[in-house]
Amino acid sequence: MSPLILKLILHSTWQTLEMVVASTALSVILGLPLALFMIATGPQGLYRLPFAARLMGMVVDAVRAVPFIILLVLLIPVTRFIAGTSLGTEAAIVPLSIAGIPYFARIAEMALREVDSGLVDAVRAMGGTRMTIIRSVLIAEALPGLVTGVTVTLITMVGASAMAGVIGAGGLGDLAIRYGYQRFNTTVMFGVVVVLIIMVSLMQVIGNSLARWLKH
Amino acid sequence: MNPILDIQHVTHTFGQHTALQDISFSVQQGEVVGLIGRSGAGKSTLLRCLCALERPQQGHILLDGVDLTTQPERQLVRIRRKIGLVFQHFNLLTSRTVAGNIALPLQIAGCPRKEQADRIAELLELVGLKGFEKKYPSQLSGGQKQRVGIARALAANPTLLLCDEATSALDPESTSSILNLLADINKKLGLTIVLITHEMDVVRRFAQRILVLDHGRLVEDGTLLDFLRDGQNNRTLQTLLADIRPSLPAFLTETLASAPQQGHNKAIIRLVLSGDNASEPLFSALHEQFNVRTALLQGGVTTVGEHLSGDMILSLEGEKTEQALSHLKTAAQNMEVLGYVPSHS
Ligand SMILES: Nc1ncnc2c1ncn2[C@@H]1O[C@H](COP(=O)(O)OP(=O)(O)OP(=O)(O)O)[C@@H](O)[C@H]1O
Ligand SMILES: [Mg+2]
Repeated sequence: MSPLILKLILHSTWQTLEMVVASTALSVILGLPLALFMIATGPQGLYRLPFAARLMGMVVDAVRAVPFIILLVLLIPVTRFIAGTSLGTEAAIVPLSIAGIPYFARIAEMALREVDSGLVDAVRAMGGTRMTIIRSVLIAEALPGLVTGVTVTLITMVGASAMAGVIGAGGLGDLAIRYGYQRFNTTVMFGVVVVLIIMVSLMQVIGNSLARWLKH
Repeated sequence: MNPILDIQHVTHTFGQHTALQDISFSVQQGEVVGLIGRSGAGKSTLLRCLCALERPQQGHILLDGVDLTTQPERQLVRIRRKIGLVFQHFNLLTSRTVAGNIALPLQIAGCPRKEQADRIAELLELVGLKGFEKKYPSQLSGGQKQRVGIARALAANPTLLLCDEATSALDPESTSSILNLLADINKKLGLTIVLITHEMDVVRRFAQRILVLDHGRLVEDGTLLDFLRDGQNNRTLQTLLADIRPSLPAFLTETLASAPQQGHNKAIIRLVLSGDNASEPLFSALHEQFNVRTALLQGGVTTVGEHLSGDMILSLEGEKTEQALSHLKTAAQNMEVLGYVPSHS
């Protein structure tokens, strides 16, 4: 493998990591409150608002229903508004996050629902405020599940970022398509695949052991 | 003295279903009250109303003179800090250590960190789990988890301790030790305890007073001895008491006749004794006074709360059996002739 190809792969790996980490971080930061909102306003929630819960659920599902490649194009005006440009690695973080927020929200919602309602009762009975219940019961008890959700979201973002080449975001997927598919450079193609396999496996292994460690 | 807990005409419904209907009773400071009843009778619902987790549709619940049913949620959050709740399935936070679980009510009450550690050590000593601070609930046995549950319920110095089937998930040995612990706490701290159970044996050993719920109504309120005395008049009580009362062996039931006949004159009786009566030399007295031969077929003398209580099935045989029976009728707390069997059996 020539130094040039190596440099190309290294550069693309960095771009992919940038997109994946930034969009996953945003998905968690905004998706977790969304999940808490859906749990808390839902039936048996701490702040029952069934209509709001239903509406939020519909919005979340609507975004999730659109295939990412279409969302990417559909969101170009939004991306331009937020990022100032619709092209490049940073710009791609916008549509990736918008797809990732409802994705993580649904996973987090499932993890939060797994929390035994008896624990909520226990802390309510000892005079805990709703904030205490959200922090010390819902989030704390769901943490292993939430970590698994972050792992799944990271890996999904690796896949989605490959499509972001469409808006000139670069990254490993883009590299594999331009060199491997359009120029028949199988060395680059194989290199990219190996890097992706290593990247995804590492994420999975680290995520799993973190979740296991948190699950006392 | 004003009661610590005063329940007045509480009614609670879930949709069409009436879970509690016109319940009234009061509990004095330091009392241990057992709440029993069949599954679905409304015991847990009543307990959830008592700790303000559920607001009854009608009636009033006064805790230390404060009406829980009219307080806004903000106030209820404060009031709940003075009530300890122990659950059947422990409900410990798996994400926290033993110390972390016990610390939670202290944190909620705003107790300074330094005092928390002292209080946790003190509570673990009380429940017999010294040195377990750093363990996680998953590393404990059921009985140990329940001890943590009790320590957590006691952490913020509650005025009232409520237990919802606190021993139902435990083996007999752990049940005993948890009950002893609760009795101990009641004595040492003078804490008022309301305990739900459907094991009559738990009530027998522990409760000074028993409330019986049936289909959402309070049908009985008294001591176990009261119930043993009048149990046969009440169907609900009879089924509940069946667990702990001696019952006639099957081979005798077959030959049982309601009246004595020739060669069929061994009397089978059920006898309830209490207090001093229970420790008297009954069998020899019957022999000396009436020349009656007495055998114990089932049951015996046990401790109820702090007193001795006898509940047994006996056979009596001899010339003066009828005199012996009328003597027992007046001397014992309760005597019931179950029937007569052939004298050779
Ligand atoms: N949240 C609820 N929504 C609707 N119905 C309920 C609810 N909680 C309890 N019930 C009903 O109220 C009745 C009383 O229930 P409760 O849990 O108080 O019974 P229990 O005496 O504690 O029974 P068990 O011994 O089985 O625990 C039951 O018929 C139950 O179905
Ligand atoms: Mg119950």
